[in-house]
Amino acid sequence: MLRWFLPFAATFLCVAKPVDFDREIRPILSDRCFACHGPDEKQRMANLRLDLKVGPDLINPGDATRSKLYQRITHPKLRMPPVSAGPALTAKQTELIKRWIDEGAKWELHWAYQPPQRPSEPEVKNRAWVRNPIDSFILARLDKEGLKPSPEADRITLLRRVTFDLTGLPPTPTEIESYLADKSPQAYEKRVATLLASPRYGERMAMQWMDFARYADTHGYHIDSHREQWHWRDWVIDAFNTNKPYDRFIVEQLAGDLLPNATLDQKIATGFNRNHMINFEGGAIEEEYQNEYVIDRVETTSAAFMGLTMGCARCHDHKYDPITQKDFYRFYAFFNTIPEKGLDGRKGNAAPLLQLPSPEQAALFADVKQRLKTAEASFSESKVAELQAEWETSHAASGSRAPASGLLTHYEFDGGLTDSSGHHQRGRVLKGEPAFSAGIVDKAVDFDGESHVDFGNIAAFNPDRPFSIAVWVRSNGILEMPILQKLSNPESRRGFELYFDEAIPVGDLRRGARMGFRLTHQWPDNLIDVQTVDRLPSTSKDSAPRPWYYVTVNYDGSGKASGLTMLINGKPTRLDALKDRLTGTTQNESSLQIGNKSLGRPYKGQVDDLRIYDRQLTIAEALQLVNDQPADASLWMAPEKRSKDQAYRLRDYFLTYQAPETYRALYAEINRLKEEQGRLDAEIPTTMVMAESAKPRDTWVLGRGDYRNHGEKVTPGVPAVLPPLPKNAPLNRLTLATWLTDPSHPLTSRVAINHFWQMYFGMGLVKTSENFGSQGDPPANPELLDWLATEFVRTGWDVKGMQRLILTSAAYRQSSKETRELRERDPENQLLARGPRFRLPAEMLRDNALAVSGLLNEKVGGPSVYPYQPKGLWEEIAYGDVYSAQSYSPSHGQDLYRRSMYDFWKRTSPPPSLITFDAPDREKCSARRTITNTPLQALALLNDPTFVESARALAQRTLTQGGKDATQRVAYAFRLATGRSPDTREIAALRDLAKAELAQYRGHQDEAVKLLSVGESRYDTKLDTAELAAWTTVASAILNLDETITKE
Amino acid sequence: MQDDLKAAEDYAGRLAFTRRHFFAKTSTGIGVAALASLLGPEAEASSNGLTGLPHFAAKAKRVIFLHQSGAPSQVDLFDYKPQLKKFQATELPESVRMGQRITGMTSGQSSLPVASSVFKFSQFGKNGTWLSELIPHHGKIVDDICLIKTVNTEAINHDPAITFIQTGSQQPGRPSLGSWVSYGLGSENHNLPAFVVLISQSSAVNVDQPLFSRLWGNGFLPSNHQGVNFRSSGDPVLYLSDPPGVDKATRRRILDTVATLNQRTAEAYGDPEIETRIAQYEMAYRMQTSVPELMDLSKESEATFEMYGPDSRKPGSYAANCLLARRLAERGVRFIQLYKRGWDQHNDLPRDLALQCKSVDQPSAALIQDLKQRGLLDDTLVVWGGEFGRTVYCQGKLTETNYGRDHHPRCFTMWMAGGGVKPGISHGETDDFCYNVASDPVHVHDVQATVLQCLGVDHKRLTFQFQGRHFRLTDVSGEVVKPILV
Repeated sequence: MLRWFLPFAATFLCVAKPVDFDREIRPILSDRCFACHGPDEKQRMANLRLDLKVGPDLINPGDATRSKLYQRITHPKLRMPPVSAGPALTAKQTELIKRWIDEGAKWELHWAYQPPQRPSEPEVKNRAWVRNPIDSFILARLDKEGLKPSPEADRITLLRRVTFDLTGLPPTPTEIESYLADKSPQAYEKRVATLLASPRYGERMAMQWMDFARYADTHGYHIDSHREQWHWRDWVIDAFNTNKPYDRFIVEQLAGDLLPNATLDQKIATGFNRNHMINFEGGAIEEEYQNEYVIDRVETTSAAFMGLTMGCARCHDHKYDPITQKDFYRFYAFFNTIPEKGLDGRKGNAAPLLQLPSPEQAALFADVKQRLKTAEASFSESKVAELQAEWETSHAASGSRAPASGLLTHYEFDGGLTDSSGHHQRGRVLKGEPAFSAGIVDKAVDFDGESHVDFGNIAAFNPDRPFSIAVWVRSNGILEMPILQKLSNPESRRGFELYFDEAIPVGDLRRGARMGFRLTHQWPDNLIDVQTVDRLPSTSKDSAPRPWYYVTVNYDGSGKASGLTMLINGKPTRLDALKDRLTGTTQNESSLQIGNKSLGRPYKGQVDDLRIYDRQLTIAEALQLVNDQPADASLWMAPEKRSKDQAYRLRDYFLTYQAPETYRALYAEINRLKEEQGRLDAEIPTTMVMAESAKPRDTWVLGRGDYRNHGEKVTPGVPAVLPPLPKNAPLNRLTLATWLTDPSHPLTSRVAINHFWQMYFGMGLVKTSENFGSQGDPPANPELLDWLATEFVRTGWDVKGMQRLILTSAAYRQSSKETRELRERDPENQLLARGPRFRLPAEMLRDNALAVSGLLNEKVGGPSVYPYQPKGLWEEIAYGDVYSAQSYSPSHGQDLYRRSMYDFWKRTSPPPSLITFDAPDREKCSARRTITNTPLQALALLNDPTFVESARALAQRTLTQGGKDATQRVAYAFRLATGRSPDTREIAALRDLAKAELAQYRGHQDEAVKLLSVGESRYDTKLDTAELAAWTTVASAILNLDETITKE
Repeated sequence: MQDDLKAAEDYAGRLAFTRRHFFAKTSTGIGVAALASLLGPEAEASSNGLTGLPHFAAKAKRVIFLHQSGAPSQVDLFDYKPQLKKFQATELPESVRMGQRITGMTSGQSSLPVASSVFKFSQFGKNGTWLSELIPHHGKIVDDICLIKTVNTEAINHDPAITFIQTGSQQPGRPSLGSWVSYGLGSENHNLPAFVVLISQSSAVNVDQPLFSRLWGNGFLPSNHQGVNFRSSGDPVLYLSDPPGVDKATRRRILDTVATLNQRTAEAYGDPEIETRIAQYEMAYRMQTSVPELMDLSKESEATFEMYGPDSRKPGSYAANCLLARRLAERGVRFIQLYKRGWDQHNDLPRDLALQCKSVDQPSAALIQDLKQRGLLDDTLVVWGGEFGRTVYCQGKLTETNYGRDHHPRCFTMWMAGGGVKPGISHGETDDFCYNVASDPVHVHDVQATVLQCLGVDHKRLTFQFQGRHFRLTDVSGEVVKPILV
């Protein structure tokens, strides 16, 4: 639906002028012929290319009827394009081609590949209208069409238009008044200068660039958790505000890191090419995604700076433009050298990244690092080894120090089920084959979910007696799972059981379980059931073995949940009492068991060193068990037989408990500092940047764009149709960026100008701002485009200067009122015989409501914020709560009223009110937005709490500052929202509404309160509730006016 | 060969031109009726999609796509392989796998043992189709549906695979199936969107896969073609309810005031976009009635609830959403996209698959029966399936009673029923290991081409030019699966 106006626009031209090959013929050839007779070598038929100048065999210049090309397109039977390629050319198209050949078949290189030549300013009749050269070009064109420009828009309309265009916000009443009061002829120019100097200007310019740069706050693929890339966004705002020359803007974003003595800011700028989506789906293949990231960089870089669709050459030569598949991968090679991983981003930013500590953080970190260095310097490894060896020899002789008093039973599981407490209650295997493998204290018994072990009727406690159970466990299960059970039967479950509740210990949802213990008389009502409040610590990596826990359950014989305590790894743990009503015995005749399926989900995991006492263990004893026992066991082993883990534990034990005081203190200090360092490191904000690998990857042409199909190996390079890279320059991104910003580059300056133009006129001079290739629309006014492009370069890429030039033109200042004739002749306003008029972009819509209501928080930059959003939008598609950005909690206070460009952007569920108003999803580079007009937009403007709250705040502002009578108030609110004063009919309509609603809310005060309570900010209770509610509806009507949401 | 440039796009262009000629800059949303009323009856037909579409007589007027997100196991549900018992716990032969890439979740596994299904299969319907004991209700509709056992895909992980089946491309950026249909065919109901999305959460215990709004996104099509998520909690359509304290009379007065003032602006500026906006506000107002009426199941009969099962009274459940799908179909919504989450059985498959089937089997069957008894099945195409299949080999530990299955792209089962599809047949065969296609492969693009075909749309001729290229749903491939069409 986007390109159909091209022939229409072209009709303005084709009356008397000779046929323009570039504008009128190439588009036909490109769209209808190039696919088989174009740049793509593999698809080329009859060895014929129509994208290059063709020879006399095909075209007889000056005589179409004797040209084979013309004969074939008009041939009744052998017509081209063939039926399989769609309908024949239209009569108009064949006629154009005929005329073109008859006129001599002039061929030229596609306009976009020829460097812009600065045209001279055309002569126009109405010189008085011309304010700057832009107008000469526009007017010359209008003259040809026999059209006249529209009169200048009235001052308020123009002020509102330019204020939105340069700041994204409406002018304030004060700004309007001061502007109206300024009668000087330069009032408008002065205002433009003021707006360009406003910090809002950088925000507004960044808004469009964020679409190009596919900026978002999440990774996009699969789980779509958060990233932290706002430093880059703030860099963009700052770059525009400080009027960074556009060539620097490009160089720093593409290759800031490669500049000599690159500053922190220049490195941050390279985040541009890290804004692409990143994946870490479990099971995904690294190379597959690393390839996608580089491809995205090529697509984005070529589209955003050159208006080229290089992505089309990923799988094969480009079908329309002279870009081969090899060109694609040579361009790709520039971006394939960064030290990145194909799967990354689980915990936020993906490498390579830059740490951005605050000065305080940097100082703290340096301090800790220094202290750690000092501590480590005085810690002699060799001395420690010596001391440890001495201690091992002496300690091994002294025997175990495990508490023995009250020990009822003790299973070491070092290869069997013997009881080493001296009570000889050997366990037996009832089912399966439990394995004995490396454990925490020598070996441990390993349950696979199929094994069942029975220890006989031991530990038959009565609830009025104390006891203690101490055991090492390491779970392999996921769901709730009993470990140790002594239960009468599956129904009454009399007795006790130690269990894990649900954990998710692998993959993406890694988290520990809670540990629980039940002492039961009669299930499910008569029992004590306690669980640790906190989940047990889990592993940090999938590949890491799951941790062992030493659990000590102590019971004091009180019959109360408060009498149960649990130590995890010797440390007391907070418990939740899920059940606390035990009124009968817990004794039974059953066995103590592990893995009995009839009593619950069979245990999966390891168990080691189970001890049961008929008394409570003290914390000291539990600590001794947790620390001494593994050490004890390791001691009996020859050092070379110890596993890495065992060796580590023994050393840790020695240095924590047994080493000389100085070493113990030093060891503790080092550990503390390391922990501190880790914590500080995690707190330091980061941003993702480009960097060069020490060992850059090789690049190949990839068959069908598939990462697995390596073809020819290639070095970095650029398509031949574009200027060559500077000779002898290193083939890196900096060279590429320098090449892009060379004044001779045919695309860079044109593309940039086009971006600016579309912000103001709703459409670029080249409508297809993402595509300047042969399938794109030709420029509506090529001379103007080239003049602007050369002017941009001539002024040293002065971005503010170009905005000033465009916005002070007479063309821009025209009224946007349409006549029927104008609309019919130029529905898209490509000729610019009138001013632009279109609905505000999504961000500005919301910002406008916040601004006119006085709620707007004008803070610039910083982390993204969370405005109101309907509940559950993230949760209904999310993965789970372990990852970030899976559940949405709105911000509070001032962050609710930040500008919309700071809304947290989750790619798989973007901010609903922005998406409703045509914001792109930011998964890919987006060069322009379509504008739709839908009922969902009406619903959002009427009912989204942001807009309801804004209406109320606007009403409040109106009642307190807008005068006493209804007419004054209507005028006040109306003017805030639209900039202009309402006429009598408008006043009457809004007054009638106010009157009717006042009556309504007088009769329904409770309803008024409900309406006024929408949103977090409080309403002014000093005001008359019914009146405020009534005016809230009036304000809502005003905020919904077409005029309010439109840039006139 | 440039086979993707077709007349339809020209027509689209001309139509767009006409529309713009009168209605200026923007694409209108779901409020085509309002627009049409301004253009007169002639425009009404054309504003219902692209002129020239359907390309040929449509068998189906609408689609209900029951996407089973996470990928249900074809080995345990539809593709009966009794001979697998013989190979139980033996290594998957290399002659079967043939070096096929597997995911990072099992590529490190030392062994890939065959896991036959623990579930019993028995025969149903006239043709004695084998179905698992987990889906007994499918037994009742097996004569109405067409099983396709040989669907295959290229992606081996969820994000690319579900993006592929919903948009025709593994990588983001393309329009979804529903948005293509909305773009091409428009809506039959002027008070509801052309493309509606319903989401049901997982019924399994283990964690489920996420969804992405791109799955029902518009890609490069105008954003009025994106799917509208009808939600089971809060407002069914975002911001549908008036704010607290605003009653219908107040809402009406606000709208009338806005319309009066907008009319004035229209006169002053002459921009037809303003007329459209006035119409869209009226449409929004009507939706405030039509959508709650649609979502209100209270007038459904006891028999209906019984047919869809006990969950059908629970908002958001798959059963309730199937019932809603029927109500949407009755009202002429063009494309109804359901998602049921929770089919990703990497481990504990016997338990979790059973839980999923318990919530999905009966409502899926009920939907077919219900559409049939109301005469809607003839012109409604129902599609059921996931984004890929599951491996015959076990992921994790294989025991007699427990196992898991990894992602499998080479074959999986989908079914279609209704408008244009032969009932009671089974298409395609897989090998004895349920690993490779033995005959009649059906690629994901073929499925998409076939869905469009049933709607009377030639998948090669529904195109949209973006970045210079005439894009289509099926990219550069896709063959209509003719043997399954009536």
